[in-house]
Amino acid sequence: MVIMRYCLIITVVVLVACLAPMRGAAQEPLQIDIFGPGEERINIFIAPPKALEAQVLHHPGTGRQIHHLLQDYLGLLPFVTHVDPGHILGGPEVAGVRGRDIDFRKFSLSRVDLLLTIGLEQHPGRTGSVEMRAFEVFGQRMVLGRAYDLQDEDQIPLMVRRFCAELMDYLTGNGDFFRSVLAFERKHGDNKNIWSVTPQGTDLRQITEVQGITLSPAWSPGGEKIAFTLLKDNRHYLGVWNLEQDETQTFTLPGNTIISPAFAPDGRLAISLDPMGRPDIYWLNDDFRMGQAIMEHWAIDVSPSFDRTGRKMAFASGRLGNPHIFVHDFNKQQVNRVTYEGRYNTNPSISPDGNFVAFSRQTPDGHRIFVAELSTGRERQITFGPGNDEDPAFAPDGYFVAFSSSRSGDYRLYLTTRNGDEPRQIPTGRGDAKAPAWGPERN
Amino acid sequence: MKNKTTVLLVTLLAFMMLAGFGCGKRAVEAPVDPAEAHLTEEERARLEEERRRQELERQALEERKLEEERLARERERTEVRLQEAVDEITKNRIHFAFDSYELTADSRSTLQKISEHMKRFNNLRLVIEGHCDERGTAEYNLALGERRARAAYEFLVLLGVSSDRMQIISYGEERPLVPESNEAAWAQNRRAEFKVLQ
Repeated sequence: MVIMRYCLIITVVVLVACLAPMRGAAQEPLQIDIFGPGEERINIFIAPPKALEAQVLHHPGTGRQIHHLLQDYLGLLPFVTHVDPGHILGGPEVAGVRGRDIDFRKFSLSRVDLLLTIGLEQHPGRTGSVEMRAFEVFGQRMVLGRAYDLQDEDQIPLMVRRFCAELMDYLTGNGDFFRSVLAFERKHGDNKNIWSVTPQGTDLRQITEVQGITLSPAWSPGGEKIAFTLLKDNRHYLGVWNLEQDETQTFTLPGNTIISPAFAPDGRLAISLDPMGRPDIYWLNDDFRMGQAIMEHWAIDVSPSFDRTGRKMAFASGRLGNPHIFVHDFNKQQVNRVTYEGRYNTNPSISPDGNFVAFSRQTPDGHRIFVAELSTGRERQITFGPGNDEDPAFAPDGYFVAFSSSRSGDYRLYLTTRNGDEPRQIPTGRGDAKAPAWGPERN
Repeated sequence: MKNKTTVLLVTLLAFMMLAGFGCGKRAVEAPVDPAEAHLTEEERARLEEERRRQELERQALEERKLEEERLARERERTEVRLQEAVDEITKNRIHFAFDSYELTADSRSTLQKISEHMKRFNNLRLVIEGHCDERGTAEYNLALGERRARAAYEFLVLLGVSSDRMQIISYGEERPLVPESNEAAWAQNRRAEFKVLQ
């Protein structure tokens, strides 16, 4: 188990200097309002890795890999611009990785807002230690410093993700993008199985191995289970994969269809079933048996999606003749219509704060992802094809949106934000990849 | 005296002729099984009876074989008819408009034919598969596929096919018939299919 291995080894030390602001501490902290209307950007420069002491680096490739991954991962943040090393007046080198060793003026003149340094300590036969620091150039102060004791080179991507998570915590208030993992369905031949990958494209692994079609994976809130639909032997099953045992159990339920499982924040599973001969949304009990109905209607009701509090559930329904998006408010026992435009609106994903719903709408050019603000009813198109853009899924930070798209000819996973930033493809290997679902990374 | 002598001669001649015929008859007689040679008449009669009984049995056996062959031919014809029915059921598909599960007149006529086969062959069980084109989205299409399969199922129930001989599965958009992205392919892919379990 790759995930379990990580949990054992990385030792993190908060660098003491982090707590001791340097010169210019009175300046406004460098922070980004990712939800604001403006197009705020920050310029980042990652200095070439340095040895912590005057020593020979036994694994010079380690520093290069860390530098490269930092560049890649931070490059996924739409508000980050990497400054070209050639544009640093006086050269990109730093004398050392600590604040006292850095000539901030040249970075300031080169419009660098945030400077990152990487310090390495290596001894023969050991992977060694890594210190990473982030400095606000204008204030000349360290805003984040972490030291990691690496046991294995395989841990480097996880270490960099951890650092990026904390840096994003500092910059935006929520670094969960770097603490998440995506489950998705991947096709091979006539079968589909559940796979997982980090949003940064690392740790790609196959979760289920079934001869059948698995659809619509959904993580439990703690990340210990994935529920999904399984089509096999002429019937539908509920599949539940368990992280601890790395095993899949299957369950039958009343009716013919088992569609779109979704966990509520309290850990209960909601799912669309048709015991009455029409797909309605039900709660399942702890033992995965059918419980109370949440949404009953003569028309199709599918695709429940819950906000962080569990008070709101978005879903797709054909009750008006065509599929549209609705939100059920559990407190008010009220169903509100969200979409009025278009004739085919499906795949709702409500934001964790319950204020927005992302969904896919069929347009003359194919499906596109839209985001509706629930308080105002305003909609914004956030993807533009070509092909079909489907399966939007709000990240736990409410900022990133993962979706699937056939824009390359085959279905692959992409990342954008609720502001509609340039989509980035997530590498998922061969075979159509669809239905991304966010879950917490378990370490 | 002379007359007496003549009568005696004639009688002797007749006797000799009779004796001569007797010898001739023995010459063409079927050879007697040496094992039966010593059998009494009664025993021979029993043996004959046994032979007749065996002959009757042989004939009955042949009759039985002929009957079996006739039944086999009959079975074969039934199997052929059954296979033809299965082929016709499985080759028939019914098609739907986009985002619709309404049965067309053509679909109803197809279902009528399927129901007749189902009623003729009581041992058949039917799996009704609901399928959609790729233009919708996966989860809604799974629900729509169920609606399509159910529309066919309910019509067949109305036509007298017992509900416990049928089951429904929706594949949504997961099993396209024509894996292409154009109007003609989509029209083919929006369908209900019928699989037979025997």
